[in-house]
Amino acid sequence: MAELTDEELCSRVALGDHGAFEALVDRHQARAYRLAHSLLGSEADARDVSQEAFIRLFQSAGQFDGRARFSTWFYRIVVNRCIDHRRREKSWSRLVPLRGSLDEPGESVDPPSSEEAPDAAAERLESANRLSLALARLSPNQRAAVLLQVQEGLTSREIAAVLNCSENTARVHIHRGLVVLRRQLKRGE
Amino acid sequence: MKPDTHPDLALVPYLRGELSQAERESVALHLDGCARCRAELDAFAAVLERVASGIGDLPAPDWIAYRSELRRKLEGRGTRRHRLWLAGWASLAAAGVAAALVLAMRPSSRKAVPMEELAMEQQLGSNDLGLLENYPVVERLDLLENYDVIEHLDQLPPPEEPHDSQS
Repeated sequence: MAELTDEELCSRVALGDHGAFEALVDRHQARAYRLAHSLLGSEADARDVSQEAFIRLFQSAGQFDGRARFSTWFYRIVVNRCIDHRRREKSWSRLVPLRGSLDEPGESVDPPSSEEAPDAAAERLESANRLSLALARLSPNQRAAVLLQVQEGLTSREIAAVLNCSENTARVHIHRGLVVLRRQLKRGE
Repeated sequence: MKPDTHPDLALVPYLRGELSQAERESVALHLDGCARCRAELDAFAAVLERVASGIGDLPAPDWIAYRSELRRKLEGRGTRRHRLWLAGWASLAAAGVAAALVLAMRPSSRKAVPMEELAMEQQLGSNDLGLLENYPVVERLDLLENYDVIEHLDQLPPPEEPHDSQS
């Protein structure tokens, strides 16, 4: 399976090949989870939603027509599942607590390692909190666009395909998202 | 690109090398003469770097548990689908058996029948169809036993005449 492309594996999944499905999960589980976590802010939600996305992939692999890259198609499933999840919870306003968010004291940054000085750990925590709060100011589309670009390295065109919008709109989301982030991060310094 | 038009939306794609050669050259030319856009470009680069470093070390779940949970969920969906699929086929099969039984019970050789009997038979025939259309009834195979009796009501011995004490 290792030599097969994502697209080839996906065609096999469409025929019910469980081995191909396992291979695709192997390749994309970390990225799907990370993307969902960044959008939803909760480890439990990220786990559930990313698993739902894989189940959806298994059920609808036959709908992948190969016009876009597999990853673009699959991230679209992940983002849609995140949006559906948030819509159900009606809690986009709670937003993206990265590790150590002030909003969610239950999910804190890892305790400092033995090699890390206490001051450095505190600074890292403070920095993570600032970034988390700044990301919380973005609209879901802006946040998704920025995270897909930064985390997954997608181009504006691919982000447009994931978010189902024009390439220009994707660029607007990224631009406005970065403007808001810059302003928020500057305020927090 | 006009010198007074700032290519705001093209700055990030420029940073990330997404632009065509013509677009890239146009933005580069603009940047040469625009301090504002150069500052914007630097600021965007810094923010992107900051986001990348801040979210790069998200905690990962226990992948073994994650995979077994995913497998369980997938099997759960599959089992539910499989059950529905089986139930559908079982219903169809039961309907087929019922229809075959109904056909088998009908007399195959016919004598010339009077018009009244023919009309009655047609009536019974239409009742058969009605019964088949009403599948939940057909599914109750035990009813067919009664149906057999009902269909041959005319062959049942007439009930004994009550003795008329006055005659």
